Amino acid sequence: MENRHVNAIIVGAGAGGGVVAKELSVAGLSVVLFERGAWATYDDIDTDELNSQRAHALSNGYGPDNVRNKRVKIYPDGSSKIVLPTEAYSNNAACVGSGTVSYGAMAWRYMQEDFKLRTTYGHVEGSTLEDWPISYEDLEPCYEKAEWELGVAGDDSQNPFAPPRNKPQPMPPFSHNKEAQMLHDAALRLGFHPFPIPMLRNSVPYGGRPACYRMRTCAGFACPVSAKAGTHNTVIPIALESGNCELRINSVVSEIIVNDQGKITGIYYFDANNKKQKQTADIVIIAASATETPRLLLNSKSKFFPKGIGNENDWVGRNLQGHAYTGAFGIFNEDVFDDLGPGASVAICDFSHHNKGIMGGGMLANEFIRMPYLFSDIRPPGAARWGAEHKDFQRKNFKKVAQVIGPYQEHPVFDARIDVDPLVKDFWGIPVARLSGFRHEKDVEGCKFMSEKAELWLKEAGAIYTWQNVGGGKGLSGGQHQAGTCRMGNDPKTSVTDKWGRVHSVPNLFIADGSLHVNNGGFNPALTIMALGYRVGGYIAGEWSKGNRFK
Amino acid sequence: MENSKKISRRKFLSLSLLGVGGVALISLNPFSKSTSSNWRFFTNDEGVLVDALAEQIIPTDESMGARDAGATNFIDKQLMGPYIRYQETYRKGLKAIQETCKTNFKKSFEALEWEEQTKFLQSMEAGKIEGSNWEKGFDKEFFELIRSHTMQSFYGSPRHGGNKNNVSYKMMRLDYPVIIGQNRYKV
Amino acid sequence: MIKNKLLKTALLAIPIFIGVCLLSFGTFYSYWNTASADKTCASCHEIQKSVHSQSMSTHRDLKCKECHGTALSNGFHSLEEKGMMVVNHVLKIKTEDIHMNEEQVLGVMDNCKRCHTSEFAKWTSGGHSADYKAIFTNKKHNSTEQMNFDCLRCHGMFNNGTVEELVEPLNRKGPWHLKDDKEMAARPTIPCLACHQVHQDGLTKKNPDYSNPKSIFYHKDSSKSNLTFYDRHEKMNFSVSDLPKLTLWEGKRAVKVSDDLLMRNCVQCHAPNATHQAGTSDDRTPRGVHKGLSCMACHDTHSNDARNSCIKCHPAISNCKLDVIKMNTTYADAKSPNNIHFVSCTDCHDGKQQQKLNLSNKIIKLYR
Repeated sequence: MENRHVNAIIVGAGAGGGVVAKELSVAGLSVVLFERGAWATYDDIDTDELNSQRAHALSNGYGPDNVRNKRVKIYPDGSSKIVLPTEAYSNNAACVGSGTVSYGAMAWRYMQEDFKLRTTYGHVEGSTLEDWPISYEDLEPCYEKAEWELGVAGDDSQNPFAPPRNKPQPMPPFSHNKEAQMLHDAALRLGFHPFPIPMLRNSVPYGGRPACYRMRTCAGFACPVSAKAGTHNTVIPIALESGNCELRINSVVSEIIVNDQGKITGIYYFDANNKKQKQTADIVIIAASATETPRLLLNSKSKFFPKGIGNENDWVGRNLQGHAYTGAFGIFNEDVFDDLGPGASVAICDFSHHNKGIMGGGMLANEFIRMPYLFSDIRPPGAARWGAEHKDFQRKNFKKVAQVIGPYQEHPVFDARIDVDPLVKDFWGIPVARLSGFRHEKDVEGCKFMSEKAELWLKEAGAIYTWQNVGGGKGLSGGQHQAGTCRMGNDPKTSVTDKWGRVHSVPNLFIADGSLHVNNGGFNPALTIMALGYRVGGYIAGEWSKGNRFK
Repeated sequence: MENSKKISRRKFLSLSLLGVGGVALISLNPFSKSTSSNWRFFTNDEGVLVDALAEQIIPTDESMGARDAGATNFIDKQLMGPYIRYQETYRKGLKAIQETCKTNFKKSFEALEWEEQTKFLQSMEAGKIEGSNWEKGFDKEFFELIRSHTMQSFYGSPRHGGNKNNVSYKMMRLDYPVIIGQNRYKV
Repeated sequence: MIKNKLLKTALLAIPIFIGVCLLSFGTFYSYWNTASADKTCASCHEIQKSVHSQSMSTHRDLKCKECHGTALSNGFHSLEEKGMMVVNHVLKIKTEDIHMNEEQVLGVMDNCKRCHTSEFAKWTSGGHSADYKAIFTNKKHNSTEQMNFDCLRCHGMFNNGTVEELVEPLNRKGPWHLKDDKEMAARPTIPCLACHQVHQDGLTKKNPDYSNPKSIFYHKDSSKSNLTFYDRHEKMNFSVSDLPKLTLWEGKRAVKVSDDLLMRNCVQCHAPNATHQAGTSDDRTPRGVHKGLSCMACHDTHSNDARNSCIKCHPAISNCKLDVIKMNTTYADAKSPNNIHFVSCTDCHDGKQQQKLNLSNKIIKLYR
């Protein structure tokens, strides 16, 4: 049976797609929301570290699975390898809500400078560093909407570097655990400006969901009480209740359909029974992640788009960024671990921008609780990696080690990219994404700077032994914070979409995920992706109500 | 869920006769147990070797080591599940270890002195084992595989067949199962 | 003629065939159900482990079938179940991690109560026998607290599904009902296997050998307990000796908690919140004058009844000159200020006159 034609197709029910689905369906458009995974529940992996999205040893608990999915990775030495989702795959969860089911839920707004990186720091050789086509002020109302509709606990008034806002965050911030309190006090002594990390997590009952009860297994896991706000338990249910949105799970979109006139009319997808199906629509919105979105565009070749849709100037899949995580560890004399989850709770933005000698910077915060298996890889340089000494370290120091870490804002690099592999195909026969290139050499300098600050902070807090783990090495970025591969911009020659997320060369094709980011800020990107969802979704809904059919 | 139940019932009906016969055969066959391994994937000899390797990686001290905590059981179980892709690597790697030990020491790995075993693994880790069994980097690669799988068995959740009696959690003073109450109001 | 002959042969052969089948099946069936488990059940390697653990347990003298039944004891259902085990075995279908579903757990409970009549009666009279309807459709609770996945950790730990499949609506407005009320309403949420494991290591109870004083109970090793806790996450029972001891705080001061292993089971559910501050969430750990006591010092393990427990330690008229049998405590009156769990010296004595009793009239009134 043929699928009924709808107003809009959204590919990907994650941070961006979930929000767009809600904006459009509430505005009265008929919507089909496609998700390659299924609904996730807490019971799927509960507290099992080896299947969590963080350790992903045995599996990615919330997908994608190792059986049907793969990618190709090209290493700096030119060698290439097929990688599975539990390996160097640059994975994001495949389920309704995607990463927002199992993320740590930090709710950062990017700062004003993040939108004006080129203006602030000038051109950097070897980097495609650029200003966004929109300013922080343009996105501010969308941030606010995300904060209030999904629910954020925080208090930006304690952060002097926070960008201006019209409305406070809707919930009070979380209290610190022992480690965070020690770091908070130490930061004050150092003249830093510590504050509680804003979280997409209920500190008090909110949105019909209970308050967090502070499990240790949070980042990498689904929430047992639904206190963590993702699109799966906030905006997607609203979209479904509107009666205008159909969610099609276990459905893998393979290609965007281009008709004889060169117009986009819908998509092909493989349904839950792996049968190829067609869905037509007036508008198509891709929100499949910064790896899968360009893969879909590049896999949609036709005589009108011989290099893939939106790829006239070879910008699709370019500028793959993530975050160069960098920081330091400290061992304390006494227990700093008090098992009050999820761990990360204190941050500083003192080193996010205007640091001498480096471009940008990033926030620094204490880290989420490291479960025992992850901790088994945390050792000072030169320490035993196995044997009696390794075991003894685990026993003695598990509760005595604190970590300060932050996402350094990477230099976008044109050759860090996603394209499609000419030979390797996935279970459905769709050519897989190929990851290649590497980070900018200057990233490591920024990371070094931040790691030094992190170490200083830990020492002040009383650490008796510290060591740095400097990020930003030679490898390729990406990962759960993947972004930048379909950059928005005013010039079609150096960007893929316009400032509303619409693909330059196609009137009815939009992108609404991290791919749009021109650069990725020195923060976890989830709230920004949601805000962009509100921007793109709001724009489409607004135009639609004015009669614009995007033809 | 419902669907799979129905299938299993149909399958049952068609195979039930075969099944009853099968029980009779199995129970009456005096040789049924003699050839089988105690493990799912490993042979008994391989099992002894993996025990020894895991014990080196996490040795017994005041608390149980990886061998007693079920490392071999964990790895064996995963090799028939999520780690099915490593089956060949294990078969090849374990064989290579034994052959190298027999060539160099005239003994199997598990029969070596503790310090000799440690030294052997250290040279694997450093990628310094020589011999035709070890193509470029395989010693290092196989060591890293066993190391990480042993760590997983010992520090992961006991449901996967290792970490017997929560030994690692107890050793690390980590409450497990976690003690957190839920009521935020008073009855 | 030929037809007739064939018919005759068939008429004769079929019953003979059936007879032989029945006879051989019968012989096999009776052999199977009388021979020792080593020769029968344990010949499937999937079951070897269970047979082994059973042989080390308190229940070692029982035969497998006394709890698990035979292939015919439960009609088609058990025939199917047993048959599928054989089919899976022959087809080498992976049968790791065999877990009982909730129906089977309740089936086991029926077996428990055949012998443990008194314990079952006590459990029935106490709070831990509360059924799904009582727990999951409680208005006061549901309108204050939103139900969620974690409820099943302590209520309905053997439940086959999720809270979403169990009850609706999942909000604080109600009215709430069980989705499968007919099946679920009267099911107990905390069955025997929540705290007990039939195959748990243990010695059979027998008369001590009085000629050997070491065999008398008070000489026996008391550090081991048969009690276990069923953890829904791991889907396995943990012996209390492998469960963590509660750490509890009053402000920054640690609260002395009993070393009684049995109490480790209680605190898995009667737990403070993540800060482990005394008195938060469901914490009932004794502090104040009763600090260091185990739950079991006052509560019966199966009925949880604590009435008349005061007199076990306190004389009928206590040091405070109160009649401990008649005094007003929380079990007599939920609003009593005299909560046994945390009543402290300073509730009655002011700081200056620690030696001398100084009950204010108000407090005396509350106590009596």
